[in-house]
Amino acid sequence: MGRRLAIIWLVAITGIALLAPWLSLNPPGQSLFEPLAPPGNGLPLGADALGRDFLARMMYGARLSLLLTGLAVTVTLILGGLAGFSAAIVGGRFESGVNWLSNVLLAIPGLLLAMLFVAAWGPGIAAVVLAVGIGFAPSFGRVTRTIVAKLMGEGYVMAAQASGGNSLWITSRHLLPNSLPQLASYAGTYVAWAFLGVTTLTFLGLAGDPSIPEWGALLDSSRLHLQSAPRLAAAPALAITLTVLAVHAIAKKDPLA
Amino acid sequence: MSGGLLTALAAITLTFFALRLAAGDPVASLLSQGLTTPEQAETVRRSLGYHLPILQQYLFFLGNLVRGDLGVSLYSGQPVSAIIGSQLASTLQLALVSLAIALPLGILLGSASSWKSRPAAQRSATTLSGLATSLPVATTGVISLLIVSLLARGQVRGVQLWLPALVLGFAASGPFARAVHSGLESTLSSPFILAAKARGLNRTRRMYWHALRPALPAAIALIALEAAFLFAGAVVTETVFSRPGLGRTLVSSILQADFPVAQGIVALAAVLYVGSQVVADGLGWILDPRLREGR
Repeated sequence: MGRRLAIIWLVAITGIALLAPWLSLNPPGQSLFEPLAPPGNGLPLGADALGRDFLARMMYGARLSLLLTGLAVTVTLILGGLAGFSAAIVGGRFESGVNWLSNVLLAIPGLLLAMLFVAAWGPGIAAVVLAVGIGFAPSFGRVTRTIVAKLMGEGYVMAAQASGGNSLWITSRHLLPNSLPQLASYAGTYVAWAFLGVTTLTFLGLAGDPSIPEWGALLDSSRLHLQSAPRLAAAPALAITLTVLAVHAIAKKDPLA
Repeated sequence: MSGGLLTALAAITLTFFALRLAAGDPVASLLSQGLTTPEQAETVRRSLGYHLPILQQYLFFLGNLVRGDLGVSLYSGQPVSAIIGSQLASTLQLALVSLAIALPLGILLGSASSWKSRPAAQRSATTLSGLATSLPVATTGVISLLIVSLLARGQVRGVQLWLPALVLGFAASGPFARAVHSGLESTLSSPFILAAKARGLNRTRRMYWHALRPALPAAIALIALEAAFLFAGAVVTETVFSRPGLGRTLVSSILQADFPVAQGIVALAAVLYVGSQVVADGLGWILDPRLREGR
């Protein structure tokens, strides 16, 4: 996907997410129509199995999917960033301890790790957000540590240390401003992963409530009507696919490459 | 090897404490759902050892684990090892067929994205391997199911093994393609390829007979990572295609708060991952003579 197209798509769904209550013609949660009513007559995507306006559910779905992704990424960036920064700055045994822990956590794939946490807390939206956020934090922690550790060896950081700057000063003055552009270039991939993680867990029904208008959950509930109403599965599948591709197109660096 | 064992042990320990500490008393969920009376709950608790201090429980858990005893399901009362045993074959079949699709597909896509002489093929191979790595299995699965059900009009066949394996195999081919591509990029410019060119060997033979071989160990080593990926992917694929297996069992155990089962399956995934890493190291050793001589 070209970058321009990607930006257009992301701006569009963000706009729809923000304006969902004003854009949608019907409330997403009320059964106002025939079950599985075909498209037409103010129902561009028809109705779902419970007679709810499917386009409205998709619009509110953008809202929920993007919000949950944003929250999950925030958890990943804060946890991974804190661990990576503190490991690189403190060094020594603490650093090897953090490295070891992240290696252990990376031995379980991010998605399984997230499922483990959902298992511990019980299914729910908050559990999904936290679990996805924590699930990808070890990977971001490792990226952060590598970047910051490299900066720690730079001449100007050593000069600041030699002239008696404490680690808070060095962090805020040198490490943070110089690592942020690099970290930001990786962040896009974590957004894609978080989106993928959130929609996958909700698809698996781990948000607890299968009736929430969220793209993963919509994809899940539409699977039962593949024959009679393929549009119900096609719409969320397409929306998820386009969003993942768009975020990847904009993300500059891939931590795996 | 010993590092791998330690990692597996740590992952299992983490699983145990995460489930036990965060979730608290597993029997409580049975109680709240009205599945047991308080008196029964106390008996269940005692029989499962939940009245003991957590460290003691952990030691018991490890001791039982070594003997292959993973506890019993809170719901069916069946031993977890029996549940895993009954589902393992199905997941293993899916994972192996997917791997058998992913490896050749990945090598093809990875080498095709180095075909400098055929820009169109090169571009589509690069796009395809990009799609393979980035698209979520849930959506590719549903879309493929959608296409097949529209084409077949009712009678859907091959949904039990081939379609899920194709979906999972396509997703798993991405990392292979990337490893082969980057390996080829570095070997294609090395002197021995230039020498092969000077001897008059054609492009195909240079790429597939000379350049690919040193690039393969990197791809083979990926099988270790892929094992974990395939397992996580199997969770989603099995759900999409309503195929029995460990993945679906894991999801339903989480939804039912059946901790021993969830714990056993996640622990198995960690052990599997570490084990496949050891195997991949061995394969690399066989394929790449440079590793053997310690160079």
